[in-house]
Amino acid sequence: MAIDIQPEKVKGPGGREPGASRPARPWWLRPAIHTAVAGAVIGYVVGHWLGNFLGSNYQQLPLSDSSDLPIVLGYLLAVVGWIAGLGVFNDPLRQMTGRPVPVEEEDASAAAGLARYFRYSLDHKVVGIQYLVGMIIYFCTAGLFAMAIRAELLSPAYHIFSSSTYVELVGEHGTMMMMLMSSLVVGPFGNYLVPIMIGSKRVAFPRIEALSFWLTPAAFLILFSSLMLGGFPFGWTGYAPLSIQATQGADSYAVAFGLMGISIILAGFNIIVTVICYRAPGMRWSRLPMFVWSMLATSVLMVLAAPVLVGGMYMIITDRTVQTAFFADQLGGSSYLYQNLFWFFGHPEVYILALPGFGIVSEIIPVFCRKPLFGYKTAAAGMIGVTVLSFFVWQHHLFDSGLNPDMRPLFMLTTELISIPTGLIYLVAMGTFWKAKIRFTVPMLFALGMYFNFLIGGISGVFLSDVPADTTEHGSFFVMAHFHYTIMGGLIFAFMAGVYYWLPKMMGIKLNQTIGKIHFWTMFIFFNSTFLPLFAVGLAGQPRRVFEYASNLQTINDWVSISAFCLGGSILIFVINFVWSTVIAREREEGNPWQSRGLEWQVASPPPPGNFARIPVVLSGPYEYGTPGAPPVADLNPPAGVVAAAFTGAPTAAAEA
Amino acid sequence: MTQTSAEPAGLSPEAEEAGFYHEAALNATWTGARLAMGALSFGFGAFVFAYFYLRSLNSHGRWYPSTLTGPHLWAGTLIMGLIVVSAAVQTAVLQRIKAGHKTAWQRGALVALVLGLAAVGLQIWELLNLPFFPGAAGFASVFTGFYPVYLVIALMAMIWLEMLIMRCRPIAEISFVEQPPTFVEAFAVQRFQAALSAFTVVWNYLAATAVVAWVLFYLVH
Repeated sequence: MAIDIQPEKVKGPGGREPGASRPARPWWLRPAIHTAVAGAVIGYVVGHWLGNFLGSNYQQLPLSDSSDLPIVLGYLLAVVGWIAGLGVFNDPLRQMTGRPVPVEEEDASAAAGLARYFRYSLDHKVVGIQYLVGMIIYFCTAGLFAMAIRAELLSPAYHIFSSSTYVELVGEHGTMMMMLMSSLVVGPFGNYLVPIMIGSKRVAFPRIEALSFWLTPAAFLILFSSLMLGGFPFGWTGYAPLSIQATQGADSYAVAFGLMGISIILAGFNIIVTVICYRAPGMRWSRLPMFVWSMLATSVLMVLAAPVLVGGMYMIITDRTVQTAFFADQLGGSSYLYQNLFWFFGHPEVYILALPGFGIVSEIIPVFCRKPLFGYKTAAAGMIGVTVLSFFVWQHHLFDSGLNPDMRPLFMLTTELISIPTGLIYLVAMGTFWKAKIRFTVPMLFALGMYFNFLIGGISGVFLSDVPADTTEHGSFFVMAHFHYTIMGGLIFAFMAGVYYWLPKMMGIKLNQTIGKIHFWTMFIFFNSTFLPLFAVGLAGQPRRVFEYASNLQTINDWVSISAFCLGGSILIFVINFVWSTVIAREREEGNPWQSRGLEWQVASPPPPGNFARIPVVLSGPYEYGTPGAPPVADLNPPAGVVAAAFTGAPTAAAEA
Repeated sequence: MTQTSAEPAGLSPEAEEAGFYHEAALNATWTGARLAMGALSFGFGAFVFAYFYLRSLNSHGRWYPSTLTGPHLWAGTLIMGLIVVSAAVQTAVLQRIKAGHKTAWQRGALVALVLGLAAVGLQIWELLNLPFFPGAAGFASVFTGFYPVYLVIALMAMIWLEMLIMRCRPIAEISFVEQPPTFVEAFAVQRFQAALSAFTVVWNYLAATAVVAWVLFYLVH
């Protein structure tokens, strides 16, 4: 009998052959959205029980009057269950127990197909698409609340909703827009495009990036659930002491806003480190696309301002649950403390919303003007200037609060100062438009619309920064019209420009341009028709957040409401176009439809896995349109040695060449 | 910039790419740690602002009323001391692993971990046995609000340290002395060292925060 002298093969765990990948688990056992929902439900039940258990032993908590602790703990553990169900803790637990962590490419999240969009994916392009769809859903939901608000204001005396329901709707609309739309551009476009625009195959912290997205649906659902708990009567600002005295709906507000604060910190953190550390060789700061500059500036604001918001929300929660007295004046706290904390975040938040919009339009206008961006360094300096100054203006929101009057001139001055760097960004646009042969494509139309709208919003902002004007108009529809001009007229128009411009890149599908033009003109006309009259309404004295008004203002209010419904209709046109073009018609657009020099347009649409076949070497800036002899933007297939020279610092012949 | 074992000449495109992203990852670790400290500073800043704002306002004379019994000085001092010693030990043994002594670092890191966890445990005990009601005064509110946040962050830092201890185990001691023979091993060692340096910086920052908090809450309230 022959003796087998072959050595016994070493088996892997579970009897696998060495080197063989793990057998795939059935789909329902793999971490995805269904396991996340299961985790959230279990977490909520456990948290609620734990809250009742702890609360029953906490003698000074008046349980008969309040059940905030079970609700807050329920929400928090639901979030923990949600992200655990997604598999967020899997890799950290592997590391803690000394087991190898699968490399990203082998991760289950790298699977193809629609299912990857419902998973904790480590692919920045998948996260970008997740954000895009998520943000459109959040925006439309918050927009429906706006429709309800305008329906109520059709009549000064006949009511559709009760006064408390009306205030709840206002609060839900405002909070959902301000809180979730913080990531409107950074989420979809920042995550998807920034790595490609800087010539990178990956982001610095893919797990943090993915987590930042998956916290947003949790925040959205928690905020939405506030309606089942009686809503919250204090609008998006959450002023104390109302926020610490309100019913349990305020718990949803504080948890959701705090959660979203964490999400934007994480998103900004990843973007900053990616831009600093992952730029391709040759991508100097002076060649960075303006959109990337805007993402960097916005991310700095996110990382530094949002922690203060999270702190403020945490203090509301502790005041409501363990009964600290941060905001209770009679117990040694102060409601002004909240206002300071909130607006230290709240005003940079305005620029978190505005700067990405400027980044998008600054990226788009050279393409359709076929001219270099006028004053590139000025635009970058303007963004940095806005970022820095935005930390020094927050007290203009407190002009009417009883603030020390001596502080008013200082903050009036800083607020007026911020119009200078903002003006620089405008100057860049005007210089680029000068003598240009503009192509009026849909993205360009939205970009032009953004500049028009933001001009009105910006000038009315400078007007409001003056103490006498602010004192007169504080709390009126004038202020409301001002910030809708900056945020909806600025950010949302820019977002739409970005969607029409970059969707061919992100999905390889072009949105229908005819419907797009109808969308733009209806949106532009009805946006102005809605918000321009509100300046007059505000000057006439109609206050915000009040569902009754003087009967002589009914005609103009009806005009505004009907315009608002038409504005909603224009958004519906966009949704129909989006669904029609991406699901039904699917007109392929795989090339460079805008003849852009941007690095992102030099690769296939949508970009292949890894974005680039090889690490590109950037040769020139992205805006050299019409410049004779301008080199190509990048070498996508650089000779051997150039990339190595970039990270070792050692010159090679290829690099010199 | 940390040197790698890559030589510019004669590298395949795959090796070039691996080296480039390895270098980027090392820099990202360095940058991320500093950025995290910036974000944490603004987060802690909310409490520092609350502390000085409420203290200067002394609303209704209830910043620190004379009837208020303060937190246990011995407990606060011990917690702060444990964290500072833990950070000092970690910093000292970081120098040992830089000199190639993996085992010395492992022992020191275990000590740092135990001290840090002891501080966290003691902090939990203190919060469960406060001599005042959280809403008794402005001071009480800031104290009760700040320390759970600090506790959670310190606990997360200790989890990070535990991960580093586990990551270090499969790396051969000789790899800290001599250049490992393959890129994969060299990269693993360098990434571990970068993460360890980042952790040490963050843990020292948290120790400095603990000292500042101790001064504010136990000495000069």
